[in-house]
Amino acid sequence: MSGISDILVLIKQVPDTSSKAGLNPDGTIDRAKAKRMLNPFDRYALQAALHVKKMYGGRVTALTMGPPPAVEILLEAIAHGADQGYLLSDRRLAASDTLATAYALHKCVLYLGKMDLIFTGLQTTDGDTAQVGPQIAERLDLPQVTYCEDFSIEEGKLHARRIVEGGHQDVICNLPALVTVANAYHQLEYKTLRGARLIQELNRDEALKNQYIHTITLDDVSADPELCGLKGSPTIVAHTDKVGQIGGQCVMHQGKSIEALVKEITGGTQIKEFVRQ
Amino acid sequence: MSEESPEIVKPINADQPVGEVLVFAEQCLGELQPVGLELLGAGRILADKLKRPLTAIVLGHNLGDIPKTLIAHGADKVYIADHPDLEQYRTLPYRRVICKWIEQMAVEPHTMLLGSTTTGRDLAPRIAAHFTTGLTADTTELDIGDYDHKGGSDPSKIGLYAHCLYAIRPSFGESLKARILGPWKNPQMATTRPGVMVPLKPDWERTGEVITIPVDIDSSDYRLAVKETFREVNQTVNLAQADVIVAGGYGLGNPEGFELIRKLADCFDNSAVGASRKVVDAGWIPYNHQIGQTGKTVRPKVYIACGISGAIQHRVGMQNSDLIIAINKDPDAPIFKFAHHGIVGDLYQVLPEMIRQLQSSQSSSPKEVSSVV
Ligand SMILES: Cc1cc2nc3c(=O)[nH]c(=O)nc-3n(C[C@H](O)[C@H](O)[C@H](O)COP(=O)(O)OP(=O)(O)OC[C@H]3O[C@@H](n4cnc5c(N)ncnc54)[C@H](O)[C@@H]3O)c2cc1C
Repeated sequence: MSGISDILVLIKQVPDTSSKAGLNPDGTIDRAKAKRMLNPFDRYALQAALHVKKMYGGRVTALTMGPPPAVEILLEAIAHGADQGYLLSDRRLAASDTLATAYALHKCVLYLGKMDLIFTGLQTTDGDTAQVGPQIAERLDLPQVTYCEDFSIEEGKLHARRIVEGGHQDVICNLPALVTVANAYHQLEYKTLRGARLIQELNRDEALKNQYIHTITLDDVSADPELCGLKGSPTIVAHTDKVGQIGGQCVMHQGKSIEALVKEITGGTQIKEFVRQ
Repeated sequence: MSEESPEIVKPINADQPVGEVLVFAEQCLGELQPVGLELLGAGRILADKLKRPLTAIVLGHNLGDIPKTLIAHGADKVYIADHPDLEQYRTLPYRRVICKWIEQMAVEPHTMLLGSTTTGRDLAPRIAAHFTTGLTADTTELDIGDYDHKGGSDPSKIGLYAHCLYAIRPSFGESLKARILGPWKNPQMATTRPGVMVPLKPDWERTGEVITIPVDIDSSDYRLAVKETFREVNQTVNLAQADVIVAGGYGLGNPEGFELIRKLADCFDNSAVGASRKVVDAGWIPYNHQIGQTGKTVRPKVYIACGISGAIQHRVGMQNSDLIIAINKDPDAPIFKFAHHGIVGDLYQVLPEMIRQLQSSQSSSPKEVSSVV
């Protein structure tokens, strides 16, 4: 008996920086033009949630906060096997920092009801802070396992391995708990044919889609708008600078014989100095 | 006269009391982690600018000389929480002890700094959420300065603020530097990348106050237990002092690939072998060779990355090397975004050729010839 009935996974849509679309020359992102994708670490979190469902049972709910297009990643989660998706979308959330984001999301969790396990990605590729997960856990007074790279559930407890400097750490944690996932140990099964069909149907049939995906606002989850968005954010980005030396500086050696390529390197004075004599 | 001189704006927070600069000094298995001393180095500058004390807080059991070391490295005051249940880091007891201690202070700290380690990044957001205060992740520069907040949708925040923490961090894949501020609430918090800030030279004559702080752990703080911590603390691999590091990644394809890496390293004086986390996790080479966020931070004269993709977690450990040479068969590998020289090719062709050329340059060198004769 695992005793798991509800699993929540928090996911975010981020700009796809591997594609050139929407990338400004100065390295910033034009979010309107950029391609969008599921944050890579959140994919691992989704894998973890679906792994729990497969091994121990329970229902998987995917939750995201973002503008309306973020519904795409909820559909993706459903195609992979999540049971339902919630999109928190509200203009008053604009410019939320991690604290304000965590406040809004923890209100959603309270609105959704009891969760046995909450998974989030370790961090996002557009913020890189790794803060929102633990901030939600603090608000909900939950224990947390961050940097999780593998886990199992035994006798109603989470046995997890987390990444630490120079090694790893094994912990045992009571449920409910919040877990930030750093690695993909449980492969996401390819979208099943059934999943792909379901998405087609949902895109065709608005009423059916509404059974799977729920769009909610701050009012629905009784969140105080004063604690969200710019108002609820204790930090602001006051200034940004371009970093000089990074990017586009690499001298590429290719398209010649290996011998010639290597010569270009070994002939360099910076290297010669260190060659053992 | 006074009417003609420009109006001097008084900062909004001019009359508010300013607290200390508090550094969380992390220990692991009783050993102080270097990042704590680095934070003291940075914190000393902030504290001097604020004209406030620099304090350090350390939690653990049987802390021995740690308080003395912290004082020698710039702390004016050290708070110690000594308890068997604090020996190993766990989120909940640590956050409770620290939050309670801050709550009883007459004036809360102006700034609180933690390392961007797997411990600091686990703990800092809990403390920040507890105090609903701002936290900047992964900073690489810190400073104190004024800030004139001119606009935005929240009029209550507008105005001139004195002595704010400037928390500066790379963003957008290291291509931008963002200065993040949060002067509206103290403590202003930041985590700082290990290996970036410079510790002060220890002054063992320096004196400071050591204060033992209360430890009340709630039964709910035991919801997580640490079963085992495995840390490779063996320092035998001389990565820090090496002039040349040859590092291998998953592109080697198998553990035997490291023989080639070693052979190339042997072509150089004062060289060492490094590795990515992925090959360490795969068991191809021990942890003490790992470079990156959860490995070592290195700054050699030459860094040769072979079959390493250049993930951000690897990059932060080696990007300050003087000369970075990357060998990768994928021309779009991220490592080529920050290497100085990139060879696009199969390392199993490139490395043997490189070894051959370097060895032949050895034997043809006049120095070598004369020593043989
Ligand atoms: C919390 C956390 C902490 C981490 N800490 C660290 C850390 O400290 N250090 C670290 O390194 N990583 C760390 N990582 C992991 C990091 O994200 C990457 O997964 C890892 O660095 C990738 O290792 P790699 O480059 O060896 O492997 P891969 O990403 O698999 O790259 C292999 C590369 O080899 C190339 N290649 C393949 N075959 C050949 C060939 N025959 N010739 C030439 N090139 C070839 C490929 O094109 C590819 O670019 C951490 C991750 C997390 C989440």
